[in-house]
Amino acid sequence: MHGDQLHAPVVTARGVRKRFGDVQAVDGVDLAVAGGERVGIVGPNGAGKTTLLLMLLGAIDPDEGEVELLGRRLPTGRSAAMEDVGFAAGYLPLPDRLRVHEALRFFADLHDVPDRRVVVDRVIDELDIGYLRDKTCMSLSSGQATLVGIAKAVMHRPRLVVLDEPTASLDPDIALRVRDALARLNDEHRTALLLTSHDMREVEALTERVVFLRDGRVLADGAPATVVADAGHDTLEEMFLAEAVRMRGARL
Amino acid sequence: MTAIAEPRPGVRWHRVSAVVRRHVLVQVRNPGHWFLLLILPIVDALLFSSIGVAFGQDDRAVEILVVGILLFHVIWQVTLSGSLGFLEEVWSRNVLNLWTTPLTESEYGLALLVAGFVRALVSMGLVGAVAAGLYSVDPTGAGWVLAVGAATLMVFGWAVALLVIGLVLQFGETAEVFSWGLLVLLMPLSGIFYPPEALPGVLQPVAQVIPLTRIFEATRESLQHGTVQWIDLGLGAAGSLVCVALGAWFVQRQLRRFREQGWITRFS
Repeated sequence: MHGDQLHAPVVTARGVRKRFGDVQAVDGVDLAVAGGERVGIVGPNGAGKTTLLLMLLGAIDPDEGEVELLGRRLPTGRSAAMEDVGFAAGYLPLPDRLRVHEALRFFADLHDVPDRRVVVDRVIDELDIGYLRDKTCMSLSSGQATLVGIAKAVMHRPRLVVLDEPTASLDPDIALRVRDALARLNDEHRTALLLTSHDMREVEALTERVVFLRDGRVLADGAPATVVADAGHDTLEEMFLAEAVRMRGARL
Repeated sequence: MTAIAEPRPGVRWHRVSAVVRRHVLVQVRNPGHWFLLLILPIVDALLFSSIGVAFGQDDRAVEILVVGILLFHVIWQVTLSGSLGFLEEVWSRNVLNLWTTPLTESEYGLALLVAGFVRALVSMGLVGAVAAGLYSVDPTGAGWVLAVGAATLMVFGWAVALLVIGLVLQFGETAEVFSWGLLVLLMPLSGIFYPPEALPGVLQPVAQVIPLTRIFEATRESLQHGTVQWIDLGLGAAGSLVCVALGAWFVQRQLRRFREQGWITRFS
């Protein structure tokens, strides 16, 4: 990575809005994530997290506003930008009929990774998933599939890793291993992390900044401790629960 | 930071070959796909050759039926390769995984096209082998008209595949029925085994505007009289090109709506 790339924004959203029918899913969000930054997008169900994330990845076009991913304007620059982006979601399995090493090799090919075999072996070692290497993706448990999905997202040493509910289906010890691997990636390679999670302790452990969404708008943006204190709560989890109760009340 | 002006990305062939390899592995490990690729062409070759032997006036009847089913399997395999290839991504919930890689829509489409081409060659080879080995019929009797016809039908098959992919983008796996249904609809209407005049009068105008009809007419003419119907071949090729251009336009439009309407959430 060049020196000038280290702190350049990896993703920038300006005034993005998205409406689905009567629902304003995202309502004028501005967001910039710097190189090497660890950012969590949080908020109760329906706050607009996944829609925002999918707009940042070029999978959904905003009605208004614009998104730049690694300096490339979306949607036209999606392909070039994605060479340096990794994505994994706890709910997303990998191709059914491929073995784990074949699936990783497939995605390494799509990401233009040189020395694909070496890269696949390395990530299998790093995440300690050698025992899954020859299993078919369809035979994996949800936790194992999540681990392989994270291997897919990080193996090409991207500048940005986007994770949607990354450890939702993992045992606590495996979740800890995943968090350690992500923190190491961030430390050693200055990989920016952008994640959503309903596990507020995970968000506090993994990120240095949280963007709290309410009704598709940014309610708070800052260091987790500052956001929590400014909102008059003791923990991020308490703030999350209070917001979830407020949203439920507003719907009734 | 100023965004980099983005030219249309060029095709990276190693990404195309990666998708082709994935579809080969899916083919190898899915018994249902083996049935469609290997068993169905043999069954069809046996069925239509035997009908020709039983009811035909001469050897030409068998030849016409064999060449008809051989050419239909070109469209069949190309269409299934495109539509089932994309449906495979839907069934294995792989669409968002693919979208979040540098793979472009053109590269993915090219990969399905290559896979379809290979499937069509395998299928034609099997029908031809059954006809030659078990019925002593040489399906290459139509000469190079057969090659031109097969190439044109690949183009038409791809047009049908694009239409189905566009529908799957909108309706998800419920659109699977179109990958079979459109072919079943085309089979009687496009005069694969008989001239369009054999259809009821009300359906003949429909048959006449289907590009396939022209190709099958030209092939039969070549088999029966050894003449080349340039006009039929030209109309069939031009019609197929128009259909594939319309298919490409439809998929582009559906991809734009896919991003605008957030249809990706249906696939994840």
